[in-house]
Amino acid sequence: MISRVADHCFWVGRYLDRAESTARLLQVTRSLAFDAEMPTQAVWRPVVTVSGQYPDFCERFGDKAAGQGDVVQRYMTWAPENAVSIKTSIWGARESARSIREVLSLDIWQATNELYLWFVSEEAQRTYAHDRDEIYRQIRRQTQLSLGLVRSTMLHDTPMDILWLGVLLERIGQTARILDMHHYLLDGNGHGKSVKDAKDGGAPAEPGAGKHQIVQTALWLSLLRTCSGFEAFMRVHKGRVTGHDAVEFLLFEERFPRSLRYCVRSALGLMRRIWPAELAAIGGAPLARLAALDAWLGERKLDFDPSSIHDLLTHVVDETALVCSEARHAMSGATTASEAAGEPGPTTQQQ
Amino acid sequence: MAEAEGSLLLKGYGALSGTYDELVDAAGVPRPHARVATELLDGLTPEGFQRCQSLAELSLVQQGVTFSVYSDQRGTEKVMPVCLVPRVMGAPEWERVERGLVQRLAALELFLADVYGDQRTLREGVVPGEMVEKSKSFEPRLRGVKPAGGVRIHIAGVDLIRDPTGTLRVLEDNLRTPSGVSYVLENRQVTKRVFQHAVEGGVRRVDDYPSQLAEALRSVSPEGVDPEESTVVVLTPGPFNSAYFEHSFLARSMGLELVEASDLVVDGDDVYVRTTMGPRRVHVIYRRTDDAFIDPEFFRPDSLLGVPGLMRAWAKGRVALANAPGNGVADDKAIYPFVPDLIRFFLKEEPILEQVPTFVCARRDDRMFVVEHLDELVVKAVDEAGGYGMLMGPQATQAERDKFRELVLAEPRKYIAQHRVELSTCPTWVPERKRLEPRRVDLRPFALASRALGTIPSRWVLPGGLTRVALREGSYVVNSSQGGGSKDTWVQSSQA
Repeated sequence: MISRVADHCFWVGRYLDRAESTARLLQVTRSLAFDAEMPTQAVWRPVVTVSGQYPDFCERFGDKAAGQGDVVQRYMTWAPENAVSIKTSIWGARESARSIREVLSLDIWQATNELYLWFVSEEAQRTYAHDRDEIYRQIRRQTQLSLGLVRSTMLHDTPMDILWLGVLLERIGQTARILDMHHYLLDGNGHGKSVKDAKDGGAPAEPGAGKHQIVQTALWLSLLRTCSGFEAFMRVHKGRVTGHDAVEFLLFEERFPRSLRYCVRSALGLMRRIWPAELAAIGGAPLARLAALDAWLGERKLDFDPSSIHDLLTHVVDETALVCSEARHAMSGATTASEAAGEPGPTTQQQ
Repeated sequence: MAEAEGSLLLKGYGALSGTYDELVDAAGVPRPHARVATELLDGLTPEGFQRCQSLAELSLVQQGVTFSVYSDQRGTEKVMPVCLVPRVMGAPEWERVERGLVQRLAALELFLADVYGDQRTLREGVVPGEMVEKSKSFEPRLRGVKPAGGVRIHIAGVDLIRDPTGTLRVLEDNLRTPSGVSYVLENRQVTKRVFQHAVEGGVRRVDDYPSQLAEALRSVSPEGVDPEESTVVVLTPGPFNSAYFEHSFLARSMGLELVEASDLVVDGDDVYVRTTMGPRRVHVIYRRTDDAFIDPEFFRPDSLLGVPGLMRAWAKGRVALANAPGNGVADDKAIYPFVPDLIRFFLKEEPILEQVPTFVCARRDDRMFVVEHLDELVVKAVDEAGGYGMLMGPQATQAERDKFRELVLAEPRKYIAQHRVELSTCPTWVPERKRLEPRRVDLRPFALASRALGTIPSRWVLPGGLTRVALREGSYVVNSSQGGGSKDTWVQSSQA
């Protein structure tokens, strides 16, 4: 498989999953804001913080704006200058897909192209203005359609494995970041740091002590909804929601397809198919790193300590980022890792 | 005046004279605690609001939030109409309602234990024995049963109305299988979806109800069973039941199995659910079936519906039933007039919540007054519910009143009467006229009980509850089967 094609496959997967995950995060946070009985800063700022865009956001709008749902939503949905906005992601997915149309099935290309065309249309603008919830729902549905078509219409071969590897590695990072948004409720010090942007944003101050329990439950529920894990969690835990269980579920539940453990496991399986033992010289590095992460997560499950959650997630995010760049390096045939490292995939940014 | 400023929708809205409006005062000025809502309506044009309404309805259809109407033979599914203008309650008032409900339910819980126990209330004349013994819902064979977990009223829905002076009054207790809570949760979802600029942080949340309910159900697991390990199921009559949506909604959001009677079997004194892995013991059943359909061996030998032997298992404390069979005696309309006395008797406290003054037709003086003032009174048959079997005296025809006079004189115990309360109103969207008009509302808060530590179970009240609205102009009937709709109920957050 040609290196360039492999890289595009990888990015189609990553961008589609990123668009979906961001839409989901905005949709759930919007619902949380209404009756979470929390200051709006505490609700909206983590959304920007975990995206890694807090410095850019503050430069453009000032840090007070991080408590304004509308500013945050516009920035995370539409801003082309935001490297992880939904628009950037959908555009990136479509650009990558366009470069490898012959590798994808026609169905996948059409679904992805339609998603892009709809998203830049006036109709989408109108939906955004009048029915915010609906636009997030449609983004989720359309990206899910593309991803479903990948599995149901594409040859189950290396290109699909690489595309799906992109989906899973992206999902690991997204889930870890989402979990980290409110980790300060678990680690007990009330003012924990957030992955990546500790010094820029940090976590919101602890809500009033009297409301503590109620607010926490609201957050856990929204966390589960953000990861589409509400029903699955409820079935496992029979309606009982605690922070410990919710976080443990999203970290370790092997039967839940969006948990970190599941995604790491599955990604490892794909990597072993992409780079079997005889190709160890090429793909050995990312594979070994991911295998180590999988084993490490397994150990953490045994001695899970909620107070170390932030460190755990930071480790997962950092290691996954390294796996990504090493995997791209392996795919590229480049001689050094630095040649292949660095996001985003398609280099030209529109607008 | 202040009412018109900025608010396009509330412009020209006026409360009915002699009626309390939930959102605006007599001069049309928004009540201070209702500002969270009126500010949301500010700037919305009628067209904009209509668009929101259409979105809300679409959203309910998509989610399948429907009920079936018994009288409709085609089994048509209908969407409960929802009006997006919320009903708002201030934090201090709600705090009082909460205390009042907890107090009232504590007394009713003790009353049930007494009726099915020593019957001190009957011996000491707090409640006339006849009122209990002749109640259709009183089940003498259950005397002496101690339910698992010590709770009988696990889930209560108490209907409140507000009179023209602004006083909230209890209209009715629902202690059997009160329904409607799923609409509370769905209405909130719809509100969140539709309103673009929500009032952030000012409203108390409702979506932890399922968790609270699961916890309450688990807490009443039978003796010797670890609540952590117990199996709890939701028992539904099936998809044809009018509240089936709610049954599946609650099971799904609690992560519990939804079962029908045929899925359960009693072996010895234990209840089992049939599974692919063989029978599995069930410890707690949240049953949404009527008493009559719990157990054919006990209630209806002629019926095939229900789980044979279930009552035996319950009576032996091997399974908890929520709510307990036989509860109907305490929410009987004939007992209602005595609830304030029950509160004083059991708790040695004055009732916090008022109720509606009631004539008990079984009493001679009351009966004579009732039959002579039928054109002023609302007469209710004690065994009917859902707005059926009642006479709205002031609106009724002479023939209807004559019929009720005969009914009352023939079987006085079956009837009570009240003056019609001018139910409070809330601004409500009238699509035909594209504007807000006052429509009458009531409120059904929901309260959950967990295992008793002392003699009284601990109770949790869902902030707000179901606001039902009589959509027809001039109507007082809020039941969904008779042209009623619902509204989201916002309880002001005490931190706001």
